[in-house]
Amino acid sequence: MPRSTKKKSKFVGMRLSEKQNEALSRLQKDSKASKSDVLLRGLELLSEYYSLDLDKPPLSFDLRSLETEAMHLAESLKQVRDKKQAIHQMVQELAAVDRILDKYDGRENALIQVLLDIQTENHWLPKPALIWASERLNVPLSRIYHIATFYKAFSLEPQGRHAVQVCLGTACQVRGAKRLLDNVISVLGIEPGQTDDKQKFTLSTVNCLGCCALGPVMRIDGQYYSKPGLKDIEKIAAACD
Amino acid sequence: MSKLKSAAELKKFRQTILDGRDAGKVCVTICLGTGCLACKGDEVHKAFVEEIRKQGLEGKVDIRRTGCHGFCERGPLVVIFPKEICYLKVTPGDVPEIVEKTLIEDKVVDRLVFADEDGRKIVHEGDIPFYKHQNRIILGPNRLVDPGIIEDYIALGGYSALAKALFVMTPVEVLDEVKKSGLRGRGGAGFPTGTKWETTRNAPGEPKYVIVNADEGDPGAYMNRSVLEGNPHSVLEGLIIGAYAIGSHEGFVYVRQEYPLAVANLTTALEQARELGLLGDHILGSEFSFDVTIHRGAGAFVSGESSALMTAIEGRVGEPRLKYIRTAVSGLWEKPTNLNNVETWANVPAIINKGAAWFNGIGTKSSKGTKIFSLVGNVKNTGLVEVPMGMTLRQVIFDIGGGIAGDKKFKAVQTGGPSGGCIPAECLDLPVDFDELDKAGSMMGSGGMIVMDEGTCMVDTARYFVKFLSEESCGKCVPCREGLKQTLLILDRICSGQGREGDLELLEELGEVMTEASLCALGTTAANPLLSTLKYFRSEYEAHIKEKRCPACVCKELIRYYIEPAKCQACLLCAKNCPTGAITGEKGAIHVIDQAKCTKCGACLEVCPSRFSAVIRISGRPVPPPVAAGTPVQRRK
Repeated sequence: MPRSTKKKSKFVGMRLSEKQNEALSRLQKDSKASKSDVLLRGLELLSEYYSLDLDKPPLSFDLRSLETEAMHLAESLKQVRDKKQAIHQMVQELAAVDRILDKYDGRENALIQVLLDIQTENHWLPKPALIWASERLNVPLSRIYHIATFYKAFSLEPQGRHAVQVCLGTACQVRGAKRLLDNVISVLGIEPGQTDDKQKFTLSTVNCLGCCALGPVMRIDGQYYSKPGLKDIEKIAAACD
Repeated sequence: MSKLKSAAELKKFRQTILDGRDAGKVCVTICLGTGCLACKGDEVHKAFVEEIRKQGLEGKVDIRRTGCHGFCERGPLVVIFPKEICYLKVTPGDVPEIVEKTLIEDKVVDRLVFADEDGRKIVHEGDIPFYKHQNRIILGPNRLVDPGIIEDYIALGGYSALAKALFVMTPVEVLDEVKKSGLRGRGGAGFPTGTKWETTRNAPGEPKYVIVNADEGDPGAYMNRSVLEGNPHSVLEGLIIGAYAIGSHEGFVYVRQEYPLAVANLTTALEQARELGLLGDHILGSEFSFDVTIHRGAGAFVSGESSALMTAIEGRVGEPRLKYIRTAVSGLWEKPTNLNNVETWANVPAIINKGAAWFNGIGTKSSKGTKIFSLVGNVKNTGLVEVPMGMTLRQVIFDIGGGIAGDKKFKAVQTGGPSGGCIPAECLDLPVDFDELDKAGSMMGSGGMIVMDEGTCMVDTARYFVKFLSEESCGKCVPCREGLKQTLLILDRICSGQGREGDLELLEELGEVMTEASLCALGTTAANPLLSTLKYFRSEYEAHIKEKRCPACVCKELIRYYIEPAKCQACLLCAKNCPTGAITGEKGAIHVIDQAKCTKCGACLEVCPSRFSAVIRISGRPVPPPVAAGTPVQRRK
């Protein structure tokens, strides 16, 4: 899939000087690669650079901002990493986003589908991934954030390894979903919408899981539990690694 | 598989399938709809495969994985054809017995079949009261079809309606047939389908689009999911026929990403239809070309509204817009767009095959055909039911649903999803069709039917729906955004015992403004749950406000838990289970709840054995003074 070669004066949400833009275009021409390819390669080099214990690399504006994003990302994932690891992780993530974008031929109207796929893969929408999608689809970042905050499926915070959903649909409601939710809250120690400190569980409430006959229903990682009591919930939670 | 190039080839293909199948051969059908999957239906399927292999019955017995049969309460369901022996609540452990007794010895396993209240056993699926009173035009084929196998659908005569439309009828004739059938949109509003098609067909502008709305967001409704999961080809065939009538060459299915199985089954169905030349260029060798794209919705209730849904397909935020111009004239990318609900599309093949007159014969004067309801809540037989329009609520809830679970009294039935209303016992003889439900202050909606027993607080129910809608409101227009917020504040206050004189009048006024002034249907119908409960259950609101009493003992702030000294048998269960240690008691002594420590979690009520029923809820009157610690229990005789 040939990528957009439309001339842009902006990249990764940053305005480029004419000189920078020219340099980028020249690089692209030489290597027949797109801007995003050039940047990905740049990041990989940066990661190697840090592994040699060198400091203060000569960075372009874009690479510098991506580096900052990579560190933010590492921070929000609450994993201690060195710069090299952080950047390496981001390279992989952006490459994954690239694969998703290619699947939809980089069509602008596929934006929501792209975001859904990113969400499914990461369980959240990391900022660099959004910047990348904005760049490749030529959609303003503000519109991506509009969508990401509007729909329930998206999360801008890292999620726990296990998604716990308690159904508060009408059918479950009349069969005592509130009490089930109270029990789940007391077992997990988190409120709906929260993730625990160890990033093990994220608790959320949903409005119908579509198996009303079993209500009240709880779902963990796609597995349904019909009418679990306090003791059942403790057992189930303990069984999750 | 090669592409079918004419109606005759389709017919021949079907004959080949039928010739290769023996109608008398034993077939074990296992329901793997979401409900049955959730109660380990998959393991039952595995057990059957394993056991049949073990007993050397491979090749002699077929196993079919199907979509939802509807009787979700008793899942996982297993039906053994050709005798239609229906087994309920089958566990993997039951499988060896079924294989040995039914498949080998041709006997019935008595303990797994349906038993009515008098203990009479009912073996055949069709004789079970739950199914007997239904007319399953759309849901019926679910149990005969493996959604992953297009041959199953074609064997039933699938795609013959498409062939008939393409080769025997002109687009206008198809349109006229649908118009004459009186089919109305099943998504909620009940707009005449044929008229909508005609508007799109005649609207200027090319290309035209057709859309399946499978953004089923109503809590408590899952019929669209079951049809899409269980029989995706029926929806697809209807869509292709509609596209032919309208003159569209591109279609979309907007389906919630919360329904992963529906997305997967539909994706498979599209691939298979393309392989057979039922989708794509020159369908069945005709001049007509059409293809479909799936768009997954990312979870927003309001995106099920037609204009919002189209905006979402364009890749923007799914917010509704003013519809001065109907979407049928200017919809997706400002082109004429026809959007119908899953169930509406699924009706089309049957109408084309059997004719408008046949469809007209079912239902009431203004509402034709059948409607699928998801009968849920405090009812005995939860599940999906498909009944002719005009059946009364009483018939649906009591004859099919088996009445209220747990010997309680019926209180209300909520129809039409969050924007519908609550209908009280006085109106149980109301025939269910679009107009009658409207008149009662509720609506058909997508067909959720939530039965509530006497243990349901109507104020709390209204608050629940208002809360749902206020969270789902997109916030674009003021009446809906602010009106719902203020309504919720007032209802919250009433439920927590802070209700004031004049609150009810204020609520009515707010409801009226929302109904009159909101931008889209979410807002204009948002007051329904509030207004209908106010209309039928006003005394309950008044009890909350004036007496600070919740008649159903639901609202936490208005109730107290109390152990009746005369009934307590000192079993220690409640004391052990109380999370705050508010219950004092020892063996032989009456247990007492310390009201200061009690968090009203209800654990004591839940664990108190039903033969004692000592724990009760008290509302609107003071808790009797506690008995002295150590008072011995009065043993029951």
